[in-house]
Amino acid sequence: MPTGSIGMGEQSETERGKFESELKRIIEASSNAGLMLRVIGSLAFQMHCPKYGYLQAAMGRAYTDIDFAAYRKQTKEIRSLMAGLGYVENREVSIISEGSRSIFENHSNNLHIDVFFDKLDFCHVISWDGRLEVDQPTIPLSEMLLEKMQIVKINEKDVVDTIMLLLEHPLGNNDQETINMAHIAKLCANDWGLWRTTTMNLDKVGKLAVGYPQLEDDQKSQVVTQVKKALEYLDAESKPMAWRLRARVGDRVKWYKEVDEVH
Amino acid sequence: MTKLVRELMRPGMVTCKPQATLGQVAKILTENHVHALFVIGADGKIKGIITDFDLLTGEWLSGDPESLAAMRRMTAGDLMSAPVNSIEANASAKEAAQRMQERVVRRLLVTDSGKPVGVISVSDIVASIAEKAITKRKTVADVMSDAFLTCRDQTPLASAARAMTSSGWRSVLVVDANGKPLGVVSGLDLLPYCDSEGECGNAIVADVMHPAITIHMHATLQEAARKLIENHHHRLVVIDPAQPDAIPMGIISSFDIVAEMARPESIWQK
Repeated sequence: MPTGSIGMGEQSETERGKFESELKRIIEASSNAGLMLRVIGSLAFQMHCPKYGYLQAAMGRAYTDIDFAAYRKQTKEIRSLMAGLGYVENREVSIISEGSRSIFENHSNNLHIDVFFDKLDFCHVISWDGRLEVDQPTIPLSEMLLEKMQIVKINEKDVVDTIMLLLEHPLGNNDQETINMAHIAKLCANDWGLWRTTTMNLDKVGKLAVGYPQLEDDQKSQVVTQVKKALEYLDAESKPMAWRLRARVGDRVKWYKEVDEVH
Repeated sequence: MTKLVRELMRPGMVTCKPQATLGQVAKILTENHVHALFVIGADGKIKGIITDFDLLTGEWLSGDPESLAAMRRMTAGDLMSAPVNSIEANASAKEAAQRMQERVVRRLLVTDSGKPVGVISVSDIVASIAEKAITKRKTVADVMSDAFLTCRDQTPLASAARAMTSSGWRSVLVVDANGKPLGVVSGLDLLPYCDSEGECGNAIVADVMHPAITIHMHATLQEAARKLIENHHHRLVVIDPAQPDAIPMGIISSFDIVAEMARPESIWQK
């Protein structure tokens, strides 16, 4: 697992506060404008984990930018909102990504906003279709877990966020303050590649959690139990023929897309 | 009286070794006009079964040179299904049909006191419904064609079964008065009627047909393979994109793609 990477390192309370207050300002403005702009990334984990959010700072997880999920049909309104809040768009990113991603910079506070339209399209595709209405101001908890689990070369920052999420929320079959494992299991049953990466990373999170000195023993065992339960959900879901055929081929053929980071 | 499996089965079986490449499997399937091979281990025992549908995975996952190379290294032993579903020769045809439906398979290994003696497939049971002699499938029916079997939605099931058997086709395309595809009837759709000895009552094809999955005539084989696998269908209706509601251009089946893989000049044979 890559360590010492972006998103890890000490960060002062003042610096963290800068991100959090700016996020609050953007959420309020988007809510007033009636836009479906949902928080993803490290700040979403912080917002949705009031009990265990302290672990980010304790485990050296730093904020680097503010990320959002949105629907493409609101691209124009979101551009207008961000311009009104003092942000300038890097139009090249939007052109290269064919409108699926926008990056905005605020030169007065040096903050960077990333908006992913309709889907997160890195190692695997995580669609927002019909899911941004489920929770607010963040994406649903199941998508938060998938956002991290779809990364083939998972980083320590992603492991820290996942540990927080698994400690804070139960697993179940709905989205009400629950990680909707039924939804994740269905997505994984329709895509062997996503199943392969998700199970690989869940396993990794369970193994790494026991090595963190910042976690109490009961917290470590809680993460391990949650991982085991999540894997049981994925295992129990019935798999269609396409999944079973793909599984027979296994790792012989690459099951994910290589990712070029854009910062 | 209900027919027995031994009366409908095809004796013997076509086999390959676990080390056979997908290209070799495609060639054996095509040369023998069969849709599945039994994979035999060094001890002479059946280890699994590999079908033309399994072979579609080769086309589906070979989108780039690296993946193609990996798929070309795969063997029958890697891709086969195991264990093999079987039935005793003295079982009834109805029991065989039920087992195929329950396990979602198109053929069963037939055993006599546990010893393999032949194969019974959906086509064999469909042939019995039509009370026709089992005819060997013609090669022309196994390759992509602009000539195919059609009927209207009110056609009696027994007629569809008879037409399928006599033509060697494994499906009938159901169309409306203008030739627009409404659905497809395959052997699997007819299985629930296997115990009626051809007496299908008043049932018509509209009662059992499943939706037709379409593909454009210009789509690649890789796209066809992906569509077949993702929809778990064995055939696609080929349409003219300029006239999607007109009578289709043809039908492409899983076997057509395997036949293409078996051609001497195919990449799978090099």
